[in-house]
Amino acid sequence: MSEDQKLDPVRLWREWFVKSEKSWSDALTEMMGDEHFTNGMGRYMQEAFHTHRMFSEGMAQYLANLNIPSRADILDMSDRLAHVEDTLNQIQVELREQRAQLTKLASSGATVADTPRKRPTRSRKPAPTNDS
Amino acid sequence: MSAVASPDRESDFDSRVEQLVERAIARNIPGLALPQGQADLDVGPSAKELVYSAETARLYHYEPLLDDVYRVPVLLVMSPVARGYILDLARGQSLVEYLLLQGHDVYMLDWAPPRREQAGLGLADYVMDLVGGCVQSVQKDSGEQDVTLVGYCMGGMLSSMFTALRPDSGVKNLACFTTPVNGDGMELYKKWMSSSAFDIDRLIDTLGNIPGDFINTSIQALRPLQRSANHMRLLNNVQDDAFVKAHLRFDRWAVDQLPIPGHLARDMARDFILENRLMDGSLRLRDEQVDLGTIKVPFLHVAALYDHIVPAAASADLIRLVGSKDKEEIVMKGGHVSLVAGGNAIFRLWPQLDRWLASRAV
Repeated sequence: MSEDQKLDPVRLWREWFVKSEKSWSDALTEMMGDEHFTNGMGRYMQEAFHTHRMFSEGMAQYLANLNIPSRADILDMSDRLAHVEDTLNQIQVELREQRAQLTKLASSGATVADTPRKRPTRSRKPAPTNDS
Repeated sequence: MSAVASPDRESDFDSRVEQLVERAIARNIPGLALPQGQADLDVGPSAKELVYSAETARLYHYEPLLDDVYRVPVLLVMSPVARGYILDLARGQSLVEYLLLQGHDVYMLDWAPPRREQAGLGLADYVMDLVGGCVQSVQKDSGEQDVTLVGYCMGGMLSSMFTALRPDSGVKNLACFTTPVNGDGMELYKKWMSSSAFDIDRLIDTLGNIPGDFINTSIQALRPLQRSANHMRLLNNVQDDAFVKAHLRFDRWAVDQLPIPGHLARDMARDFILENRLMDGSLRLRDEQVDLGTIKVPFLHVAALYDHIVPAAASADLIRLVGSKDKEEIVMKGGHVSLVAGGNAIFRLWPQLDRWLASRAV
């Protein structure tokens, strides 16, 4: 660290923050565990969910009138894309299984155009230790 | 009083300004280079293939790096809220790569974000169907009946529950990292969920699947200023290219939490946090009792000394509850994430895990 960096007050402040962060965080989590805080947070969450639901329902109608997709419409699209991805995954898995079966046929002497995937042998042993 | 500054003072001031400008430029050059070198930050470098896919489960097989491997394959079970690439972060900082180089045959059960129609997946589905399905797939793909399960955090919970419920499934060894078992030990979450104002059912009815942001916020709340401190540390080390890249990888993963099905969240909140059923053996999944005492296979639990996410009070009972004769617990320096993926993991956890696995994987 250069002399300038040692005297840099902002750097010194950052270093102090990093070293003392744990105790500050502990104080905050203790405060968050307080009964008043947890009750207040719980009530806030209930209100937030209620507001969220009301707003979503209101906006859905408004957006439908404007012919603009709502969040629910976009989530529907996302779900359909995820479904397509899952189906592709299934196809990928089945292709892999087919290739494994072709590999077995190849090793039994049948003619296969595809190059079989090389599998390692399973005979590894651990290195001897000083105890043995 | 002179109206003109002396030459010495002028040159001191000039050199100081010059140094400040040079330092500012030196700080910004790594930032300019970053977008161009963004590919260097790609995570999950180890080659893998998708072997099995069902609901939110994705089972990957990593390409072996040696021609001869240990007989018993290793199935890494990730936590459903976290991305699996933390175990394969970068070349030279990858548990997966390390195990492959030691001659293990490695699979990973990673999770995908649930669709809305999958909000009904619960703990029983995850343990019995998804983990169970993956174990069967590993057996089929490897040709070996014996499998070693290695679970991280909640992945360790799922692995332990599965091993307890299915002792004849072929699980030969079980290892868990930073795995909670005592809901009373998750103090802050217990206080929040015990509040009369907290309604888990309303939460799930409103949200369906619990969003990743929600999970990220609840994890950050366990140590609220840690992320800010990490950013301060970054600013203090911004000239160090390697430090910046490592920070960005970790930071990316830390905020990349997965959403989870609402039903799973409800099961975890009720059965684990509030009623602590895993501790007294009263947890039932599809009417089957989950008793960790029925686990008899060799067992390893590794806990982190500075873990604020799964503190000792939440994980220390696991070694006592498991019924194996061959069982071991190691407490290592590190935090919840740095234990498995930090710069020192290659000197601490990984060799210990390899030592433990090697003699039990033949």
